[in-house]
Amino acid sequence: MIITTGVAYPLLVTAIGQTVLPSQSNGSQVILDGKIVGSELIAQSFDSPKFFYPRNSTDSGSGVDPDITPDNALSQIPRISNATGIPMNALKTLVNLDIARNKETNALVFAPDYVRVLNLNVELVKQYPEVYAPEVGVKGGN
Amino acid sequence: MEIIILLVVLGGALGLSVIFGRYLARMIVYEKRPLENTLGRVENGFYRIIGVDKYEQMTWKQYFLAIVITNVIAAGFLMAVLLYQNDLPLSPKPGLSFDLAFNTAASFVTNTNLQHYAGDQQLSIFSQMVGLIFLMFVAPATGIASAFAFIRGFIRKEFGLGNFYVDFTRIILTLLLPIAFFSAFFLLFLGAPQTLDSTITVGTLQGTSQTITIGPVASLESIKELGSNGGGFFGANSAHPFENPSGISNVFECILMLVIPLSFPIAYGHLLGKGRGLSILAAMLIGFGVMLALGFSEQNGPSGLETRFGSFGSALFQESSIATNTGSANAALAGMSPNAVIGLFLGMFVQAIPGADGAGMMMMIIFVILTLFLVGLMVGKTPEFMSMKINPRDVKIAAFVFLIHPALILIPSVMAYTTESAQSILGEQTTPATFTQVLYEYSSAAANNGSDYLGTSANTPFWNWSTAWIMILGRYAPFGLMLAIAGSFTLRDRKEVVEPIKTSGFLFVGVLSVMVFVLTVLTFFPFLAMGPFSM
Repeated sequence: MIITTGVAYPLLVTAIGQTVLPSQSNGSQVILDGKIVGSELIAQSFDSPKFFYPRNSTDSGSGVDPDITPDNALSQIPRISNATGIPMNALKTLVNLDIARNKETNALVFAPDYVRVLNLNVELVKQYPEVYAPEVGVKGGN
Repeated sequence: MEIIILLVVLGGALGLSVIFGRYLARMIVYEKRPLENTLGRVENGFYRIIGVDKYEQMTWKQYFLAIVITNVIAAGFLMAVLLYQNDLPLSPKPGLSFDLAFNTAASFVTNTNLQHYAGDQQLSIFSQMVGLIFLMFVAPATGIASAFAFIRGFIRKEFGLGNFYVDFTRIILTLLLPIAFFSAFFLLFLGAPQTLDSTITVGTLQGTSQTITIGPVASLESIKELGSNGGGFFGANSAHPFENPSGISNVFECILMLVIPLSFPIAYGHLLGKGRGLSILAAMLIGFGVMLALGFSEQNGPSGLETRFGSFGSALFQESSIATNTGSANAALAGMSPNAVIGLFLGMFVQAIPGADGAGMMMMIIFVILTLFLVGLMVGKTPEFMSMKINPRDVKIAAFVFLIHPALILIPSVMAYTTESAQSILGEQTTPATFTQVLYEYSSAAANNGSDYLGTSANTPFWNWSTAWIMILGRYAPFGLMLAIAGSFTLRDRKEVVEPIKTSGFLFVGVLSVMVFVLTVLTFFPFLAMGPFSM
């Protein structure tokens, strides 16, 4: 039984998972310019005013909550716009696109609206590579 | 939107329960299952390895002894793995202290999964995978097997309680393993990782380095919820995005927790009368409904909650988890509203709305017997159950099963204060909030639930030893007594007359629900008043 449940079962799931669903199996890594910059499911810290910030780690249940509420994201827009010169409307559009994408992930009804911080910041870097060049070691762009 | 989520969870869990309830009924009376020939051959291989004669029937004492032997071996194995994980492969970490290893082994073998350690930091991949996952199959299989034997006691005279080793093998191989396997893939698809690496290190957007703990999470997560286990891969349990990545996984995990406990009354209905089964199901759902209503009655969080679940998704998961005695958590308990916490206590005090895999069903039948006795006294009739007389010994045992629970909660709670063990981790000042945490810890241990406020802060010898013994007594003492009841019922004559008090129908559901509520409230009210009611 130890062999069946403790070894064969998890190893079989691992083998099939790594083959069929490699991205999820390895922690949903986010890749920018061929470099792994994090996991979309795990919060990472940002201190540059040009980026959206996640919640403080002690505020959430997990301490690594990757998401913020739409209100929280919208309240950060003026600061980011000031620091980057990106128009507020453009930032708002990106936030709304991220919300729509997450809604799709949750089949529209299974979760409240939220913003996935790392995905959104990666999108910013992709859209405005020259603005983020000082912060991000890589060139960006699509 | 929220109503859709609720309907999907309840509809999904009940719909699957109809299918699995029929299947459980077949397993209980050894009817043909789908793929019977293939399954039978595989099982026969296992019986040969362990040297079991599959036709041998056990008395209740033999059945209980087989449970104890199997569980002691499994717990001993886990304890050895945890103590010596530094010498074992796959990202070795320092071995646990003796008291923490004992606590953890007791916790997982009793289906409790109280965790005084943080899995992601203190356990190796080997310990999580080979040690914990194995126990996560053993514990629910033991509970389900006991419930099989218990239900067989009522079927007909000298039907026999069955053979524990046969039940145990069949439950793991043909019930838990297939469902866990497919559920693991669904969770994997939704984002739960599954790798033998223990960490990944990445360069973040801003150029710093981030180390992310990872591992074979999906295969643990599925049996964790299905088997009413609840012990997380990560210290943050199902709040961690790798264990519970999205709103869909949250709903799916709720269904996984509910499906086997709700399948039991359906199986019972197939074997002992549809009305009786549905009545028990209704009583369970009424209790669960009260818990949900308490959970939804106030806004929870946002502090301590995950953004992707929000107040509703957190309350739904927490109440489902505690109702099924799974004990996993998708939010910090400190983030839940006082009403929601009262709902959680209700679930742990009753243990049968719908309760853990197998154990919940047995507890509900104990409540049925107590109800028949009390109602019998009121109307002046000799209580009968399944056309058998309930004798004074049955009632004594049933009352004892009921009374063990408060004793196991209240005595150690008082001891924690008199020995200053509570004050040493919660502060000198005792407030309703800190008293609630102590009461919750022992309620969770005694109910074999496993959710807790204290977490790693309770990793002290006092808390490790005391909760370990409470978990062991809270599991095996009621199991032994319940099997004793079943053992005497299976030998008893059935009368071919109508029962004086019907154990089905609206009236019975109402009386049973009220009885469960009154018995529980009378027992625990003073302590609730000092704790959560005053928060």
